[in-house]
Amino acid sequence: MQALGTPVDGDSPEAHAARRIAAAAPGEARDAEAELYRLLAPRARRFGLRHLRDAHAAADLMQQVMTLTIEQLRGGQLREPERVLSFVLGACRLTVMDQRRGERRREDLLQRYADALTIADLHVAPRLDHERVADCLERLPERERSVLVMTFFDDQPSEAVGQQLGCSAGNVRVIRHRGIDKLRRCVDPGRRAA
Amino acid sequence: MSATPQSHPSIEALLDYWLDDSDAAAIEAIDDHLMQCEPCGQALDDLVALGEGVRAAFRSGAVSAMASDASLKRVVGRGVHVREYRLPHNGSVNCTVAPEDELLVAHLETPLLGVERLDAVVTLSFEPDVQHRLQDVPFDPLAGEVLWLPKFDLVRNAPAHTAEVTLLSVDAGGAHELGRYTFHHQPWRGR
Repeated sequence: MQALGTPVDGDSPEAHAARRIAAAAPGEARDAEAELYRLLAPRARRFGLRHLRDAHAAADLMQQVMTLTIEQLRGGQLREPERVLSFVLGACRLTVMDQRRGERRREDLLQRYADALTIADLHVAPRLDHERVADCLERLPERERSVLVMTFFDDQPSEAVGQQLGCSAGNVRVIRHRGIDKLRRCVDPGRRAA
Repeated sequence: MSATPQSHPSIEALLDYWLDDSDAAAIEAIDDHLMQCEPCGQALDDLVALGEGVRAAFRSGAVSAMASDASLKRVVGRGVHVREYRLPHNGSVNCTVAPEDELLVAHLETPLLGVERLDAVVTLSFEPDVQHRLQDVPFDPLAGEVLWLPKFDLVRNAPAHTAEVTLLSVDAGGAHELGRYTFHHQPWRGR
């Protein structure tokens, strides 16, 4: 396995910001709220993208979860602010379940709390130079290029691609991994092999 | 949720997670990890952006690919305007690209049972000395056809020409021809 980052300390920046919000009078810890939003909103959005597969729905989920979290911290209802990560993950899971059930709770929450929330800029992965990606794709062996195209055109799992190519899911995963590794290193030449 | 992240998932594990190639326990563990570990989250963002880049490059017609009938149906289901040509074994066709076309697909009928490795050689009449060899192209042996998606932007802007595609079965004994297909291309001249 490739290490992608460093472990988070026990007393994390998220827990620190959550404690400051919980300790302050409601709405008085704007800096801490902005910091918590900056740290956690991208993660909530990422969770939404993975589980809802829709950018707008993911943005809604992010907004709903963050408004709920900060409101709970302001009101002292989150009794262990240092466990804010668990709370956010749980809220994300519940919100996805809610959205899948077609409930409208998010709209109520947004109406109640959205105006009171400080919104910070989010990290969003930069869009890639598509000409560069195309050039790198063309350099891949035919099999790897075709598997990547079939995979990413519709975000298809290996089993579906394998059924279409008459090969096993395991074989597709091997080809896919080899292709994506070459593509990443070609698009970003400073990157080491995975 | 654990107090500190477990070992960081590999790029392969993140890709499996994104593409739904993980089981429920693995998905839950990576959900948990990503909530705690921003570097891994950004690595996933980069993978997703790369996937979007692949999709955009394909949609712009800048890359060629071999595909399957099932994946073509999914493309059509997304509302992409596809121009298809079906060529019988060793057949030829007059072809063009209309302004509204977004993808060009050639169905090359050929016997594939027993084929170990498939190569394709493409020659274009406006560069007769150049052979483009596509090695080890993916195929479904039961399909009885190969779907070739040429570089769409190249074909759209090409002058009148003839393209010849030769499919080769490759094994330890060498390469032998499976089929030869000819495309007589004309630029769009209206209906």
